[in-house]
Amino acid sequence: MVSTQRIDAYVSQALVSLAILSALGIGFIFSKSASALPLFARQTGQSCLACHAGGQFPELTPYGRLFKLTGYTQGVRTDIPLAVMAVASYAKVSSYNGSDSSGVDFPRDGTANITTASVFCCGKITDNIGVFAQYTHDLWASQDASGSWQEHSHIDQVDIRYSDRFIDESHDFIYGLSLNNNPGVTDVWNTHNSAFAPVSSYVPAGNAIFSSSALPHDVPATPILEGLQYSAGLSGYFYLNNALYAEVGTYKASTSGLSFLHDAGVGGPGALSTRLSGSFNPYLRLAANHDWNANSLMLGIHALHASVFDDATLINSNSYSTFNDIGMDGQYQYLLDPHALTLLFSFTHENQNYSGYQHTANSFNPSDTLNYLRAKITYVFRARYGASLAYTQAQGSSDLGIYGASPAANTQANLSFNHSPDSKLWVPEVFVMPVQNIRVGLQYFKWSQFLGGHTYTYYSGLGTPSSRDASDNNLAFLYVWLAY
Amino acid sequence: MKQFSLILLSSLLIAGCSNLDRSRDLANQNVRPEVTARQLCSDCHGVDGNSVSPNFPKLAGQQEEYLVKQLQSFRHGDRASEQSYQYMWGMTATLTDEQIKGLAHYYNQHVIKLSLSKETDRILLAKGKEIFENGIPAKQSPACKLCHGAVGEGMATIPRIAGQHAAYLVRQLVIFQENAGRPGTPMESVTHGLSAAEMDSVASYLQALGV
Repeated sequence: MVSTQRIDAYVSQALVSLAILSALGIGFIFSKSASALPLFARQTGQSCLACHAGGQFPELTPYGRLFKLTGYTQGVRTDIPLAVMAVASYAKVSSYNGSDSSGVDFPRDGTANITTASVFCCGKITDNIGVFAQYTHDLWASQDASGSWQEHSHIDQVDIRYSDRFIDESHDFIYGLSLNNNPGVTDVWNTHNSAFAPVSSYVPAGNAIFSSSALPHDVPATPILEGLQYSAGLSGYFYLNNALYAEVGTYKASTSGLSFLHDAGVGGPGALSTRLSGSFNPYLRLAANHDWNANSLMLGIHALHASVFDDATLINSNSYSTFNDIGMDGQYQYLLDPHALTLLFSFTHENQNYSGYQHTANSFNPSDTLNYLRAKITYVFRARYGASLAYTQAQGSSDLGIYGASPAANTQANLSFNHSPDSKLWVPEVFVMPVQNIRVGLQYFKWSQFLGGHTYTYYSGLGTPSSRDASDNNLAFLYVWLAY
Repeated sequence: MKQFSLILLSSLLIAGCSNLDRSRDLANQNVRPEVTARQLCSDCHGVDGNSVSPNFPKLAGQQEEYLVKQLQSFRHGDRASEQSYQYMWGMTATLTDEQIKGLAHYYNQHVIKLSLSKETDRILLAKGKEIFENGIPAKQSPACKLCHGAVGEGMATIPRIAGQHAAYLVRQLVIFQENAGRPGTPMESVTHGLSAAEMDSVASYLQALGV
C-alpha cells in the first residue's frame, strides 16, 4: 500500500505541475483582439446574459455551464486577460441592542464604503486549458488594537482547468480536470458551494462592514463543505449528452508548494484549510440534467468527507475530527428573452465526529449533526430589472461547547442561549442593471431565528453578557457592483 | 493516485498541441467548419442545428445563402437587434468568408426536426394557416408563402420558416415591425399591420409545419 506521505507527494507534484504549465501558458496570451466587456465576455464577444441567467451573477445558463465545463476555452484569447470588480455598499442594522458602544461594535454601520475589489484572470490559455482566478483586496479587513482599519489582499477563488470535448450527432462527451481551492467552485449549477453562494454574493465577508462576530450576514452554522476555501483540490469530471454530470475530487491542506492557493490572512496557519489530514478528503458530485424548450431542470447529490486536525499544533498527530456531508440539490430555469427565472435549492446533512481531544477541549458532545438548507428564486426582466428571495436554514444538535452560552470576557461573540445552531434567514432583494457592467441592489436580511433564539453577546467595555434578539440582527444592505 | 497524476500530466502535455479536430478556437482558420459547429455553435443551436431552446433559431435545413448572408451581417454589425449584439457579433467577429460558407453548408445538410408543440388550439393554427397562405389583404400584409415558398421552405437568401421555433419567429416579426435591427428586407412593411395575436398564430402554425 502506498503511504499517505507518498500520496501527498504525488498529489502535490501533480498540482504544482498543473499550476506551472498553466502559468507558462499565460505567456502566450498577449496577441489577440479585445472589446469592452469583462474577461469572459471579451473572450467570446458576447454579453453577460449569454452565460448568466438574465445577465446576473452567479446563476449560469445552459450555455454558460458548457463554457465553464469546456474549461473557459471558447472564443479568442484576449490581449489583456484581466477583469476587475468592485463593490461599494451601505448597510444599516436594525438595532444596537446589547451593545454599550455602537461606534465600537458596529463601526461601519450607516456609512457608505468602497468595500472590496477583485482582479480576475485569465480565461482561455490554450484550446484545452483555461483559468478562473480571483485576487481580492478588502479595504476594511480588520481593526488593530488602536482601532485603525487594516486592508488585506489575498487570493480568492481559483479554478484551473484542462478539458476536452468529443461531440458528434450521436453523443456529446466533455471531460476535464480542475485544480482549485474550494470544494464546489467547479460546479456549474452553484447550488451547494460557498464559492458562489446564492445569498451573499454581493455581501463582503468578514469584518468589511461590521465586526463579524457582532453582526452576522449569513447563517453561522454551516457544513464543512462551505468552509474549505483555500484548501487544495484536484478533481476530474465528465458531462455526457447534457444529461449526466459526475465529478470526483479530493482536497488537502494548501501547504508548502500549494500555499499559493490559500489566503495567508484568513487561511493562514491554523485555518481549517491548512489542517486537512492527508490527501484523501473526497468530494463527490452527481447531477442529472434535462433541457426542454426554454426549460432546464437539474437534480443532483453532493458529498464530502473531511478529516481535520483539531488545531495547528496537532497536525500530523492522530487527533483529528471527521465530517461527513451528504446532500441533494436541484435547479429549475426558464430562459426565454426577455424573461429569466431560476429556482434552486440545496440540502446538506452533516455528521460531525469529534476526536477525543476536540471533545475534551471544545465540543460538549462526542458528535453532532447539522442540517443545512438553501433555496432561492430569482427573476430578471430584459436583463435589467430583477428580484430575488433567498432562504437559508440551519438546524442541528445543541452543543454547549460549539455554540456556547457564556462568552469570555472582553470578547465579541454571538453565543446561543440554548446552545443551538438553529437559524433561519430570509433575504429578499431587488436590483437593476442600467448596463451590464453595473448592478445596483437592495437586500434585506431578515432573521426569523438566530442560533436557537436570542443570543448572548459580550461587547467591549461591558462587564456582563448582553443579549440580542434574532431580529436585532436584521440588516438593510444597499450595494453598487461594478465590473469591467 | 500515481496513475491519476500521470494521466493528468500526460493530458497537459497533449494539451500543449492544438488539436484541430476538437478545437474551440474561433480565430484559427485551420479549424474545419464542422468542428466549430460542433464544439461551439452546438451549445445554443444543437449539434445538428435543431436547437432545444426557442431562444435560439433552428439552423438545420436552413437555406445556405441565407445563412451566409446572416453570418456576414452579424460579422459586419449590420444585423443589429439586441440579441444579435448579445450573442452573435462576438461569435462571428473573426470568421472568414470561407468559414462562414462551411458553417452554412454544414447546417443546410441537416434535417430540421419538429418540436413538440404545446399549441393544440386548432382555431389559432387555422388563423395562422390563413395568414401564411393568403396574408391579410386589409392590412396590406401579403401571404408568407409568396416569398418563403409553398411550404415555408425558403429560397436562396429568403429563409426557411417551416418548423422554426414559434417564439423565435414572433421575436423576429416584432424586430421587423419595430425596425429594430434587421434592415434591408421587405419585412418591415409586411409586418407593419400585424397584431400580436396574428404574429402568434402564424408563428404557431409555422412551428408545426413540417416539410
